[in-house]
Amino acid sequence: MKTIAIVDDEVHIRALLEQTLEDLDDAPEILTAVNGAEGLALIERERPSLVFLDVMMPLMNGYEVCAAVRKNPDLAGTTIVMLTAKGQESDRARGHEAGAHHFVTKPFDPDEILELARKVLAAS
Amino acid sequence: MSKAARYLKTAWLSRQFELARPLLPAGTALALWLGGKKLAESDAAGADLSDACPGALSFALTLDGEVVGALLLLPPAGGEAQCRRAGDFLAHGLQGMLDAEHARRAIAQEALEGYREMALLQRAALELNDSLKPAAVAEALLKEFDDRKMGADYGAVYQFEAEGKAQLMRCFGAGADDAFDRFADSEFFAGIAADAAKAGADIVNDLSSLPTVPEFGSLLWRPLDAHGKNLGLLVLALQRRGGFTAGDMKRAQTLGSMAAASLHNAQLYAAEQKLFQSFVDVIAAAIDAKSRYTSGHCQRVPKIAMLLAEAAHRDEGRFAQFRLDEEERKAIEIAAKLHDCGKVVTPEWIVDKATKLDGIFNRIGLVALRFELLRRDALMERDRRLAGGGDSASAVRDYRARLRKLDEDFAFLEKCNQGAESVSAAHVDRIREIAARNWCDSNGRAFPLLSEDEVYNLMVQRGTLNPEERKIIEDHAAHTIAALKQIAFPRALRNVTEYAGGHHEHMDGTGYPWGLTRERLSIPTRIIAIADIFEALTAPDRPYRKPNTLNSAIGIMHRMKLNQHIDGELFDLLLSSGVYADYAREHLADSQIDDVDIGRYLGQ
Repeated sequence: MKTIAIVDDEVHIRALLEQTLEDLDDAPEILTAVNGAEGLALIERERPSLVFLDVMMPLMNGYEVCAAVRKNPDLAGTTIVMLTAKGQESDRARGHEAGAHHFVTKPFDPDEILELARKVLAAS
Repeated sequence: MSKAARYLKTAWLSRQFELARPLLPAGTALALWLGGKKLAESDAAGADLSDACPGALSFALTLDGEVVGALLLLPPAGGEAQCRRAGDFLAHGLQGMLDAEHARRAIAQEALEGYREMALLQRAALELNDSLKPAAVAEALLKEFDDRKMGADYGAVYQFEAEGKAQLMRCFGAGADDAFDRFADSEFFAGIAADAAKAGADIVNDLSSLPTVPEFGSLLWRPLDAHGKNLGLLVLALQRRGGFTAGDMKRAQTLGSMAAASLHNAQLYAAEQKLFQSFVDVIAAAIDAKSRYTSGHCQRVPKIAMLLAEAAHRDEGRFAQFRLDEEERKAIEIAAKLHDCGKVVTPEWIVDKATKLDGIFNRIGLVALRFELLRRDALMERDRRLAGGGDSASAVRDYRARLRKLDEDFAFLEKCNQGAESVSAAHVDRIREIAARNWCDSNGRAFPLLSEDEVYNLMVQRGTLNPEERKIIEDHAAHTIAALKQIAFPRALRNVTEYAGGHHEHMDGTGYPWGLTRERLSIPTRIIAIADIFEALTAPDRPYRKPNTLNSAIGIMHRMKLNQHIDGELFDLLLSSGVYADYAREHLADSQIDDVDIGRYLGQ
């Protein structure tokens, strides 16, 4: 079964993303983590196909998590989607540097999330 | 599988069962069924537990009053009462958890719908405001409902015109043009359109008994109104009946309100454009109307200019870098229409000066009268000599000689008075010689045969204009610039003044008013300069000459090219692109159109 990880310190974002992703066919497993450090541990343990990763988080920010994931050759198959805040699109340059594949602005478009997840899961 | 199965997490349930075990008689089997799926079980016995098992206690779990699952307990012998009490307690907790999760999900769903709508609005705002053309707004609106986005089979945007007539702007679907035309003629449509603004949006999910068109099974419409005005109507249709949902309506409402605002802007913009264009046309027509000789000039120059500009736009050679967009086309056309607008301050007697002695009227008649006086003088002199008994033969001979001289001199002056005549130094001497002669009034006062001003004008070397008058004519270019500078052109039209004001500039810098050389003159400026000359040379009627044939006009322009007056590359393009011939076919008299061997003029 395919696995998707959601790493965000905001409970409503986790809940909304999770509920959105429940609409995917084949019901992939959805795991959540509430900060960067926990998120990195989760990703290393579960090796999800797809990670939705917040930027501003306690303990370890999204760029650091992303860079750490990219450095790990075991996680080469993990696609990272960074969640950036509206009005902070300039963060994308840093996200690109850290190795993120896609960017989604919060508040996100549920249809865009689903389309992206379907594409990534189909390719993984 | 019902969504309810997702409401309780299995890890949490396992812990919940673990904590419940001590409350139950030993050996009780437990299981939780939700949405047709077993979510948790106490042990191997629980794994086999279903409500079909004899002796099993079932505690129903509900969502919105509907049973969605059950907590099942199979008590050991004698443990039934305790199991029932503990089961009630456990089921109550699970039911509370389910209710809370149900409410949380409903709120989350609402938030996600909000996110969806926000994203839709953001995207639509960009697309709907991308163009200021009403048709493009309609197109962008319909795109949000077609196969990819919503899956409507048919869609159309109608625009209501001033008289309330509905005009089909854009539509999609198989045979949509025809279907929506017929729909617009239906009574049903008339009903919607009549009070669209008041009635608002609606769905009819079964059209079978209503008089619309057979292609439509379900219909959704939404008036496009902004600022209290009903601008148009969005109509969506499905072939099947019962197809539209409240969600579709919401989408139509959201996008429709935004599209209506964009449509309103687009219509205002279009009205403004029309207003400005009509002002430009009125000014161009007024300039043309000032002189009967140049009528249509300001209307024809834009035609040549646009033909030549389009030829340059298509050119892959020397003009490969020159590309037009819609705004630039508009700028060139407006500049070409207004290039002579400075002429509103040029006195028409100078513009129309047909002969050198033209003033407010042609003074050659005055000169003719003075010559007539001298002829009378000669006649009287002859008669006096005849009456005095002198040599009658010589009196008649002298009279005839004087008359011949007068006729020759007047014929000479008449010829000099024509603009086509170039005046040489010998001519000037003869004019002065004639002018020095006197005529006498009845009081014996002597006056020169030609006034100083008449001599000055007759001595004009080429054409009919003396230097001061030429200056006034040339000033029209400066007046054009001064006038256009006062107009608050929008950014896209900021070059109009330059394009229009430079049409008398020469490539070698000898033109007016700026005296700029080729490299400092933009391509549109040079295009309008050529268009101005080509029109003037081929115009059917000018005061100072007969209409040219196409060949002779191009021959004259070729000399202008060699003299660095007009742009050689654009002149070549005028010929090689065939623009000269296209224009001639449309606007010149057949008698003017002759064969042009363009090879003679190209490239050199």
